[in-house]
Amino acid sequence: MTTALEKLSAVARDPRGYVEDWRMRHPGRLVLGVLPMNFPRELALAAGTLPVVVQDDQKPVTEGRSLLAEFYCGYTRNLADQAATGRFDLYDAVLMADHCIQLIGAADVVRAILPGTPVFFGMLNSSMNDSWGPARVVAMMGEFRTELERLTGEPVTGKALSDAIAVHNRDRRMVRRLFDDRAAGSAVLSPVQLQDIVTSAMIMDPAEHAGLLAEALAGASAARGGATAAPPDHRVRVHLSGHLCHAPRRELLEVIEASGAVVVDDDLYHGRRHVSTDVEEDGDPLEAVARWYQQRNVNIPCPTRVQQDADWDSWLLDAVRRSGAEAVIHLLPKFCEPHMLYYPELRKALEAAGIPQLQIETEHEGIPLESFRTRIEALVERAHRTRAVPA
Amino acid sequence: MTQTAERHDRSNRLSVTRAGGQLVADYWDNLFAAREAGKQIVWYNGGALNPIFQAAGLAWCHGEAFAARLAAQRLEGPAQLAGAEYGYNAELCSYSRTHLGCSVLTLQGASLQSGEGEHTGVVGVADQRELASRLPSPDFFVNNYAGCSTGQQWDGISYRVFGKQLPIFNISHPFLWGNKPDAGYLTGEEWEEASGFVEGQLRELIAWLETQTGRPFDWDALSQSMDYIKRAAELRREGLDLCKAKPAPATFWDWIACVAPINFLPGDQALVDYFAGVRDEIKQRLDAGVPGVQGERYRLYFDGIMNWNKLGFLSRKFAEHGAAVLAGRYIHNAFWQEPHLIDVENPLRGMAQHYLLCPTNHGSRTLDYLTLRDCREYDVDGIVFHSTRTCRAFTGPQRLLARSALNTLGIPAIFFEGDVADASFYKEEILESRLVAMLEQIDMRRQRGEHTGALGALGPARS
Repeated sequence: MTTALEKLSAVARDPRGYVEDWRMRHPGRLVLGVLPMNFPRELALAAGTLPVVVQDDQKPVTEGRSLLAEFYCGYTRNLADQAATGRFDLYDAVLMADHCIQLIGAADVVRAILPGTPVFFGMLNSSMNDSWGPARVVAMMGEFRTELERLTGEPVTGKALSDAIAVHNRDRRMVRRLFDDRAAGSAVLSPVQLQDIVTSAMIMDPAEHAGLLAEALAGASAARGGATAAPPDHRVRVHLSGHLCHAPRRELLEVIEASGAVVVDDDLYHGRRHVSTDVEEDGDPLEAVARWYQQRNVNIPCPTRVQQDADWDSWLLDAVRRSGAEAVIHLLPKFCEPHMLYYPELRKALEAAGIPQLQIETEHEGIPLESFRTRIEALVERAHRTRAVPA
Repeated sequence: MTQTAERHDRSNRLSVTRAGGQLVADYWDNLFAAREAGKQIVWYNGGALNPIFQAAGLAWCHGEAFAARLAAQRLEGPAQLAGAEYGYNAELCSYSRTHLGCSVLTLQGASLQSGEGEHTGVVGVADQRELASRLPSPDFFVNNYAGCSTGQQWDGISYRVFGKQLPIFNISHPFLWGNKPDAGYLTGEEWEEASGFVEGQLRELIAWLETQTGRPFDWDALSQSMDYIKRAAELRREGLDLCKAKPAPATFWDWIACVAPINFLPGDQALVDYFAGVRDEIKQRLDAGVPGVQGERYRLYFDGIMNWNKLGFLSRKFAEHGAAVLAGRYIHNAFWQEPHLIDVENPLRGMAQHYLLCPTNHGSRTLDYLTLRDCREYDVDGIVFHSTRTCRAFTGPQRLLARSALNTLGIPAIFFEGDVADASFYKEEILESRLVAMLEQIDMRRQRGEHTGALGALGPARS
């Protein structure tokens, strides 16, 4: 019998299967492809659609090679490839809120080669200290709502939006609890399992996701005989940092833990970053969604935003202290410019704090796992040497 | 490369651009001495805010321009090395990487000079000779980047490299994506809304500058500066239009040499005189039948930011094949290219609109319109795409544009790899072989009696 956790993993690994099943259960309703990382799924859910964060499906880039330059990041080239080879037929429309120039390039390809698929780009103000920023963001959230109403032909009511916010918050809280437990030392799920849980949350109806997750957690607790804490783990505790927009390869996460490290926290988009912030449930729901966008860059600063009073580097140091991580592994997707720009600031801060670190540059096609294993093992050795000698 | 050097040079560059070079050199000399002259210094990126800085009595340093200058003079090495040592990946935008390297060197220079170093702000004393320049450290930053998200993040990081001690002002630009049915070039609801939004931010910037300088802003000086810039821009457009002639009297490479003057020199009579000189020399050449390329056989369009350390080399390379590169997105669709938008009495809206008209701030639909329009107007036989390795903003739509040019105008395209400020990405053999192949293809079509230029193209490509 398939467990709830296995069902979530299955969705993460086969979004198409879930979407096709959802369509059968919801005839006539739209499925929207949503590009990362800041589009508010709540609005699309309130419109009666299924918003699916388009995943890197990890297939080799073929047709897409003739649509975007090879020095675009793997995720955006994969998006172009998905569009060029018919895999975007999953979506009735595409919505985007972020103005990463590579993401825009990919969306432009989708728009050009799939003229029958609406591609709506609502640019959220990314300079977070602009005094006019909050009002602009509220206005853009309103434009998203209008576009959704145009797509569905139905109004998006305040009540529907409030309900969508509540159900998303519930799901986020459940997932976030898993990350908090892991950081506190009571992790029972592997990094791959956690990643699958987050990925499935990006794809599924949040109520369905929360239901399956509750079932999965109850099952896991029963399997442990009710014990809440994981057995002591003497491996080196590491924090995974970076990897915006798309998920790192599962085999890389497995190699990290097979090299003498245990992942205790992260700021990955397919990790804690995605569930970092709830939307306020009182007041005007549209304004609450706008504030959510502002607040999540405070809760976990993102290098794609510019905010002088929110520092990813100091946030990372605090996170490392909270979780007791002994080392940081930066997972940097090749050609990711925001991460490349910010990385020296992270490196400086960790170096000053004496925290061992390793940068791993990931690529869409072919990752040199054995080379990574050697480097991770070296990091683990270094972290072991810096451990305090027991008295 | 050596082959090119040994062959006869068939390029015939405008002589007047040497005067522009002197204006630019004088500008940099003034900037390097700005601290001693008691001026406040602003570092900025993106659209040409210099008229505002000029009216505010500031000295200004455009980050991309400084990186381009270093690359053009082959002096980018120390700054890029400093950036690499600091942790910047070689795949990062080489403008930003070079400029951030300058920031690192500036700070190192300041720390070497105990006490007064911070105020003299000399770029890395140890590297001064190699850089052949003295970039003064900033008093504050202004970011004015449209289109490319990296541009905004770059100044956000400069702020951090300088220890979060200096004021920074950001102008946000909506990307001209074209959601609305009425969206188009210079038209539609989105265009008007974005124009008003950026204009409002320029007013905020001016108020902010008044705080930074402690002086009221000189609006008359802004109008005067924009009056000169508008006239210079009109002369530039006149000159560009004259280059539609066959054979063309001047080429894309001449206009590349004119980028610095139109992009960041002060708005004054010298700027107008310079572009009048450019227009006049082109006109004289037309009257005398003097071409920009001896024996023009092919007319090409160039899409991409300039490979700054290859300007002379590329101009000779294309000319040796009889290829006149005539037009390009970086020239025709940038740098005060729509002077009719500027109302000198009330210049902010027109300025805001030009910042929005950055050639990387359009969706591919608009770029498609602009590219096909220019290919037709200059009757080009083919397109050369500079696949600019570290500039994702410019390269993003290039494949789509190449497809459209082939399908709509029937003209071929090639891609070659290079970069704005990092010579290591340039692949000579790839450009040479692809260029030769495209020109042979054009020859073959001519031999078959087919029309090869974009001007006569009426429909899809012939198979």
